[in-house]
Amino acid sequence: MSVNPDAVDAAFFDELRKHYSDDEIVELGAFIGFNLGYHTFFGTLKFYPLFAPDGRLVSQTESEKLYGAAPVSLGKAGAAE
Amino acid sequence: MIHIAPLPKEAIADPELRALIAEGEALGVPDDLFPRILARAPEQAVPLMRALLMSHARGNVDHKLKEIMRILLARFAKDKYFAGLRSAKARAMGLIEQRIDDGCFAYEDNAKGFSEAEKCALRYADLMFLDAGQIDKAFYDQMKMHWSEAQIMELGAFIAFHYGMQMFMRSLGAVPLPSRSEDE
Repeated sequence: MSVNPDAVDAAFFDELRKHYSDDEIVELGAFIGFNLGYHTFFGTLKFYPLFAPDGRLVSQTESEKLYGAAPVSLGKAGAAE
Repeated sequence: MIHIAPLPKEAIADPELRALIAEGEALGVPDDLFPRILARAPEQAVPLMRALLMSHARGNVDHKLKEIMRILLARFAKDKYFAGLRSAKARAMGLIEQRIDDGCFAYEDNAKGFSEAEKCALRYADLMFLDAGQIDKAFYDQMKMHWSEAQIMELGAFIAFHYGMQMFMRSLGAVPLPSRSEDE
């Protein structure tokens, strides 16, 4: 839906219906649309999670290092403690 | 042909959703097709419809400007459904098709008469999904010269939400119900 919306065609829906009901497809589609829009918006605001993976309250500067454009491995960050 | 059939209106019993459907029909955006599709996911239908209506028709930014932004986004999303709907409220406030087209395709042209604040807001909608990288600190500093932070959040959330729902409706191959279509 985000990268190649033209690929979400009748054949794609036929494939989806092998696994999901029409009601579930609507739930998924609306969920994807909502997230597609908001994550792009949030990305422009440059804010990051308040907490590190180990539960510490961290500054936005530190959080950007953890979750930003070039995040350290979250698994590694969690294992450091 | 739409990929997922909407529920019949009479199958929707939730009074809150029915009231939101009526509100949307009175506004013209959305017609009842969108909520009848959403009604298949009833836990999402009410909050999504409420957010759609509230973000568009209420708030502290001119409704006519948001109507132009909404159509700009829908055209960019290639969503025939939302691009074809028009707000009766915006029309009653004096918004005409030529102004919508100018706002979508020529808002930077000084001859079109958009204020610097309106240009900034339209640029915000234009760039968000075209090149979000351009919406940086300098861009927000420019926005703050014309809009309060509350208004910027209102505009950003409006853009994000409507574009997301437009992409969803595009994926379904939806078009407006016959009496509502304006685009194409």
